[in-house]
Amino acid sequence: MTKHYSVSEIEAYLDEALEPDQMTAIEASLRDDSQLIGQFAEVISRRDAGIHSLGEIWRRNRISCPSREDLGSYLLNVLSAEHQLYVQFHLETVNCRYCLANLDDLKQRQLGSDKGHSARRKRYFESSAGYLQRDN
Amino acid sequence: MEVEQKLVERIRLGESDAWTDLIGRYDGRLLAYVSRRLQNRSAAEDIVQETFIGFLNSLPNYDGRRPLESYLFSIASHKLTDHLRREGRRPAIPLSGASSNHSEWQLAGNHRGASSIARSDERRVIEEHALRDALKKQVEYWRERNDWLKIKCLELIIVRGWSNKLAAEQMGISQQKVASIKHDFVKALTRSVRSQGLPEEVFPELYEDDESNTTKQGTPESNSGAAGGGEDKSSENKMEKDN
Repeated sequence: MTKHYSVSEIEAYLDEALEPDQMTAIEASLRDDSQLIGQFAEVISRRDAGIHSLGEIWRRNRISCPSREDLGSYLLNVLSAEHQLYVQFHLETVNCRYCLANLDDLKQRQLGSDKGHSARRKRYFESSAGYLQRDN
Repeated sequence: MEVEQKLVERIRLGESDAWTDLIGRYDGRLLAYVSRRLQNRSAAEDIVQETFIGFLNSLPNYDGRRPLESYLFSIASHKLTDHLRREGRRPAIPLSGASSNHSEWQLAGNHRGASSIARSDERRVIEEHALRDALKKQVEYWRERNDWLKIKCLELIIVRGWSNKLAAEQMGISQQKVASIKHDFVKALTRSVRSQGLPEEVFPELYEDDESNTTKQGTPESNSGAAGGGEDKSSENKMEKDN
């Protein structure tokens, strides 16, 4: 049976903003679901025409995302009870991929489990520093 | 935001310390974002590397008012999408897949077709920023008052695209309450857009309740009687007064 995806979900897929399991499920459907392909084409056409979508603007501008400081406080469980529940909802029900990435990073930093970060950052710097001197 | 702007200014001047600082601040979250999608750690690190190079290449065009983190995530998402396409994981969408009556997106009622209101990219950005600011103002108002219910409800309806029914079930409230929250919210946004003289045609969701509901937008939230089910409690909505 064809699963129905909302316009918001299709837009989020196009922006690589859904959680990986949803992204993978849509990718699989797109291979043989002509109805879904039609839905996608319609959304893309609408975007190209410059139509604004509330969901897209909300997500792109991260209107309701907790700050990184709030996510850190959430990890430490020091937010007010209601605020704590809201952040949990944003992460687990809204599945905000950007906040989930921030949370993963904060957890790693808290645990000190990212052992290779110095070498990685050095590599990033060395591979990109040549672009720094341009007239930016 | 101010710290970010200063950091970017220093990077524009070619200060390597500032560039090191930016990498240290953002590489972890970018890597986490990409890694959630790829099992291959080495490929994920390469994509983050491309993201940083992409940032420096695009720096002359970067609008410092845009949050740096969002900008970096958007570059990472493009690099990740390119990678997935090369790997054959992310299928291309043929635009011919649209049925003939959908090939040009039409607006409801008497509004003109979107293609007939061609305008500059700059104009589109102005429109988006106007709506963004109105959205932020509303959500901030609720946040300050710990009115998390409304924020949660609208995240489900607008960000996830859930129907009023599903949102009501998730939140444990009536559909009528959900419809009322959405109705007040849309009404406040509509007023804000109108007051700024922005074209109504490019914000169809704000006007769909005004139409005869023959729209082809297909948004699930439009299928659940958002306007019809809710009382007009706009007097409760202080944002409208602010506007």
